[in-house]
Amino acid sequence: MDLFANLLMGLELAINPINIAYLLVGSMVGMIVGVIPGFGPSAGLAILLPITIGMDPVGATMMLAAIYYGSMYGGTITSILLNTPGESATVASTFDGYPMAKAGRAGPALVMQAVASFVGGTVGVIMITLLAPAFAQVSRSFGPPEYFLLAAMGMLTLVVMIGNHWKLGVISALIGFALGTVGVDLETGQGRYTFGSPDLIGGIYFIPIAIGLFGLGELFYAFYSGMHKSESGGLIDYSKEKEFWPNRNDFLSTRWTMVRGSILGFVVGVMPGAGATIASLMAYSTERSLSKTPENFGKGEMAGLVAPESANNAASSGAMIPLLTLGIPGSASTAVLLAAFIMWGLRPGPLFMGQNPELAWGLIASMYLGNVALLAISIFAIPLFVQIIKVPYRILGPVIVVICTLGTFVVHASFVEVGLMFAAGIAGFFMRLYGFSPAALVLALVLGPLAEQALRQTLTISRGSFGIFLDRPASVWIMVVTAALLLILPIMGKIGSRAGKAERAGG
Amino acid sequence: MRIAFLLTVLGGAIFYTYIAFTDLGFMTRTGRLGPGFFPRVVGLGIVVFTLWALFDALRDARLSAQGAAVTGPGDAHSTGRWRDAATLMGLAVGYGILLPIFGGFVATVIYMLIALSIINSGKHLLNVILAIVIPAGVYLLFDRILNASMPPAMFDIIPF
Repeated sequence: MDLFANLLMGLELAINPINIAYLLVGSMVGMIVGVIPGFGPSAGLAILLPITIGMDPVGATMMLAAIYYGSMYGGTITSILLNTPGESATVASTFDGYPMAKAGRAGPALVMQAVASFVGGTVGVIMITLLAPAFAQVSRSFGPPEYFLLAAMGMLTLVVMIGNHWKLGVISALIGFALGTVGVDLETGQGRYTFGSPDLIGGIYFIPIAIGLFGLGELFYAFYSGMHKSESGGLIDYSKEKEFWPNRNDFLSTRWTMVRGSILGFVVGVMPGAGATIASLMAYSTERSLSKTPENFGKGEMAGLVAPESANNAASSGAMIPLLTLGIPGSASTAVLLAAFIMWGLRPGPLFMGQNPELAWGLIASMYLGNVALLAISIFAIPLFVQIIKVPYRILGPVIVVICTLGTFVVHASFVEVGLMFAAGIAGFFMRLYGFSPAALVLALVLGPLAEQALRQTLTISRGSFGIFLDRPASVWIMVVTAALLLILPIMGKIGSRAGKAERAGG
Repeated sequence: MRIAFLLTVLGGAIFYTYIAFTDLGFMTRTGRLGPGFFPRVVGLGIVVFTLWALFDALRDARLSAQGAAVTGPGDAHSTGRWRDAATLMGLAVGYGILLPIFGGFVATVIYMLIALSIINSGKHLLNVILAIVIPAGVYLLFDRILNASMPPAMFDIIPF
């Protein structure tokens, strides 16, 4: 019964005019971010994080979370109408979404993707409601050894998912850890790598690095890829079609697909490192193998669109569980969310839901409302998003530079941080170009100081013995789960990428 | 360029590790792990993995050089791509230099005018309108709605 009482309390908090306004703005902005090719939720969150400074934490959290899951809704619109995914998690939606649009069924495809996203997102939030308190309960006994192992788990699972370029992923993560050591050492008070600069005493702040890597780095790479030269030619004009709404058969034939995709997506999303891209590709692959007409996949099959859409939205909800209950982000997007929490003086983890019930349950309740809002927005505001798709990159580019620069400046009114952001942007471009992982760097920058502190505390407790990790049952369990994930995740990644490759080869 | 980037990372890593070993203690006086413990482990890790990646890159470069000798010179298209990315980087850094001199609003107008005239060339009217409307919108958002002050100017041209 506590569960319902908490959820009601969260709803009471979420349903007030200002918070609803933040939620709607976040949903809308998230969709716009999703629509822009090359910009995913991590870029959107990093660029827009400074806007939340000065806001009430509850409203700001709701808005950022809405940007996060809203971008999943938006990314599919370009997949269907332009055959260009807004972000990697919506790649699988191009396989059947675009053929449907070419065949004159863009309207039903757009509506069904919104419905599938809604189902996936809502199933994900229901699972969070049920499971997050249990996760928090289990992790309440965790101490420094477990926190260190969890941070290591977050990093290892991300690096192992990088695949062939894993060495570059390790270097990226280590650079993130190195940046995290800049500033005063909290245990001894000694400055590290400050070189006498007062601006570095407090350490390298996360926001300029995240904005630089995800915002400017991605933008420079988009220009390098020639995206600024392409027009939105090939955009399918759905307004000339006779039927906009899906028929009864579209809903009936895909009802179980949505459920399967949602559950699979959620489970994959909970695992650190796996993420929405793997979830969507796995859901697509699973659905095709279960289908009685697998030969129709890739030619405009509704189940081929619905499965990845429900999965990627459920996965983005699933990724909130380790963030809220363990304080461990499993992806770059949730790392930015964690940094936002820290910026507001909050520390997600086992005690978070108990110590900040209003905020935690307000956020969960807002996700129910956000999914309803996104369902409506993603159906009725399609004409607006089509107009946004038509804005060429050569105009968006300079505007994004302005928002990144001023967004960085307003956080601490520091030109040094603006300089850091530009440096991170240029480094991010080269990292993207040569196969490094900006996500691993950002995750390590967030987790590094926590991991170092936890490791030093652990070795102080154990008087320098690493045997402590084997003495504590919770630590042993975490190591077992980490080992299992390190075995399972590459297999999942291969299944997903095989499905993607097969579809591209077929299409 | 990949090798140059890896060499830059390696140079930074060696410097980072050198500081960790020379300036930061491994243990504190009380026998606890000191401020140099983590940086030493991390620094050595970057050096080792970067050397490994550098070795791979040199091997790949040698193989592709052998391939290029067979297939002929590389593509000219990549030069244009580098130029476009470098142009935007240059414009962004230029904007960063203009900001403390002219302040948030004026610097943004100047930057947008220059950037759009280069990247979106030929559409003069649209570029001028965007160069005024976008900074005005950004100013309203940050300075008025969010109450977050824009960068101040070294030389105040406009009164707000």
